[in-house]
Amino acid sequence: MFSSPTPAPGSRAIASNALRSAGLIDRDATMRDLTDKPGGRKASSKIRSHRPHLLELKQPRDSRLRTGSSSQAGPSNPLSIRGASRVMGVRVRNLGPTATPRVKPKVKAVEVWKEVVQKRWNPETQFLNLESLIDDELVKKSGLAPPGRGGDARDAAVIFKIASQLQPKVQTLSLANNNLSGVHLQFLSHYLPDLANLSLQNNNIRQIKDLDILSSRRGRLQKLRELVLIGNPVQTLGAKEDNEKYRRDVINRFSTLEVLDQVAIAQIAFDRPVASTSNAAVAAAPSATTFPCQMSPSFVTGVDGGIVSNFLVRFFNALDTQRRSLVDAYDPNATFSFSANTTIANRARVQGFHTSLPNQTKLTWKAWLGSGSRNLSRVATDPERALKSLHIGALEAVKALENLPATKHDISGPPEKFCLDSFPVVIGQGMGLLLTVHGQFTEVGTEGIRSFDRSFILTPAPEGSPAKLAGWDVVILSDQWTIRVYSSHEAWKPGPLLVQALSREEQEAQQRTPAPAPPILDPQGLLVSMPEAQRNLVMQVCQRTALNVRFAIDCLAGNAWDLDRAVANFEQVKATLSRDAFL
Amino acid sequence: MTAVPAIVKLTPNDVEIATRAADHFTRIYYSAYDSNTRLNDLPAFYRPTSSLVWNGKPFQGAAGMRELIEKMPVTKHEVQSFDCHPIPGTSPPSLLVSVSGSVTHGLGPSGNPTNITPRNPEGHPRVFSQTFMLVPDPTAPATKPGEVAKYYVSSDALRFVG
Repeated sequence: MFSSPTPAPGSRAIASNALRSAGLIDRDATMRDLTDKPGGRKASSKIRSHRPHLLELKQPRDSRLRTGSSSQAGPSNPLSIRGASRVMGVRVRNLGPTATPRVKPKVKAVEVWKEVVQKRWNPETQFLNLESLIDDELVKKSGLAPPGRGGDARDAAVIFKIASQLQPKVQTLSLANNNLSGVHLQFLSHYLPDLANLSLQNNNIRQIKDLDILSSRRGRLQKLRELVLIGNPVQTLGAKEDNEKYRRDVINRFSTLEVLDQVAIAQIAFDRPVASTSNAAVAAAPSATTFPCQMSPSFVTGVDGGIVSNFLVRFFNALDTQRRSLVDAYDPNATFSFSANTTIANRARVQGFHTSLPNQTKLTWKAWLGSGSRNLSRVATDPERALKSLHIGALEAVKALENLPATKHDISGPPEKFCLDSFPVVIGQGMGLLLTVHGQFTEVGTEGIRSFDRSFILTPAPEGSPAKLAGWDVVILSDQWTIRVYSSHEAWKPGPLLVQALSREEQEAQQRTPAPAPPILDPQGLLVSMPEAQRNLVMQVCQRTALNVRFAIDCLAGNAWDLDRAVANFEQVKATLSRDAFL
Repeated sequence: MTAVPAIVKLTPNDVEIATRAADHFTRIYYSAYDSNTRLNDLPAFYRPTSSLVWNGKPFQGAAGMRELIEKMPVTKHEVQSFDCHPIPGTSPPSLLVSVSGSVTHGLGPSGNPTNITPRNPEGHPRVFSQTFMLVPDPTAPATKPGEVAKYYVSSDALRFVG
């Protein structure tokens, strides 16, 4: 359905050209002739001879002197090796107690690396070319061991830290031909989190999981657009075994990636906000101390409320009592999945629901998590699981539902415990309905209570379809069910919303003034938002007559909401009623 | 409501692209929401025809979104769960994305008066549930190689639910 999963004709060339212009493609990666200087390096050498060193301008002479003598190099001396190890020390401590930072000031090494970085930096293209460091004249002369050629992760961190001080920020970084393995990349994203293009061509990265340290899913390189892994074991072996899987595994670690190994990635784009540069004026933080509007009751528009309430009453009844019968409620191509959000809500915790309600401590997530929860914030990195937990087709949907714990939705109980919003949406060439429902259910067995959110896409049941024949007005095209820790329905109680709690005095003052009249409910009169007394009457009429909600309401309204009169009236006219009137 | 045309079968590739798009979208959307530049950034996800319902109150289009967030206190969202389906019968597929998470408004608990009872939930982060329909914009041609289409928010329904 998505056209051209592989790049459109010519896009490979576009990508390559873009890379080449950014200097990211090694002209001949296998050639290591010392006399053949890569293009980027030439440019930066030229700049170096005509410009003052940016770093030197920012670094007063005496600060460098202090590097050697002072044992407490502070933030005023960002390039000191002590500074580097101090920052690293914090990270290392987070990783575990066994890794201890080595603090060994190598002032000379830092000075050499500063010069190397400066020489290879092109501020116009924001490109830092650190290819083949072992072949660099300065490196050779100093006898330094570059990372990957005897140097370790800390040596790499020193270089990355120097790079992080460059202005403007480094956009494109090439680390090609340095024999780097995963460990050398440990501190890359810490110092250069905003990298857009990264070439690791011809290094020694072996495992997909070596890339986790750079993954946007772990909050690391969140702006990475382009990555080159060509010539690493992870790529050469991966491509040989299953190139699609290799690409999928890498792509899934970088949600922003557009080009991998010079081949464009099929993807959906958004008009994403342009990242503000350091020069842009910084906008003031939002300062409102109140909400723009209050909490409103259920909102239904563009559809007969009766259709929505009919659907929900029947759906939840069937879900609780005979899930198999729901096979007709789903379109033959419908999609269904459920997601468990296991986080205990802050307000629920403050209010102590976990301990104050009788059965909450008996609830566990095992049955839900073990049946294929599709919380993509957890399973998206695993394409297999993401695919398996999406159930396509009515039979698959119902099969999945039957595997889940039994539920009791008290939809004929207090209506304020449920909340819904529904409005028309365009589906392909036709119209459909987006319906979101929030509420709670009891998990059968433990009798503990959970909260849920459910999002449906509904369309009119086509004439002659299984849904229509089974009496459904609408059919489910998509159904996403989020199950979460119980929170009170007070969350959607209509009325003012507070940003901060009121002080005791404010609360007392409010109690002295009369409460405002409750807001008028949606005139389309959904069952779930009806007064309880009327709702119960509607339910009883439905049960005794098999009329659907819409007709039951009509019938009651025409008989002054007297149950017996309504049922008697029904008996008189039932022969004349069309099929539409019934459940 | 009129009938939907014949359904095109979803492929694993559709699911993968949709999953990745939802991951990308939820990251950039909520980071834009929580930023100081949200007034410029957030409406860019919407079009004049987009429908929004915020806690039961309807707003229309990018302008409506702007109007809504203009008077919104500062936010900090945490996405705890999200899901995404390519919607059957649409090509390229429209996406149904649902998000569950917590949102802190204003100063959070630290901004509360000191003389309130410890069980008072106000000022603490709320649970939010937000459902989006993302659809391709036929008027915005792909600008980059590999780009299937540019998508925008056609529908957005949000509730505070805890």
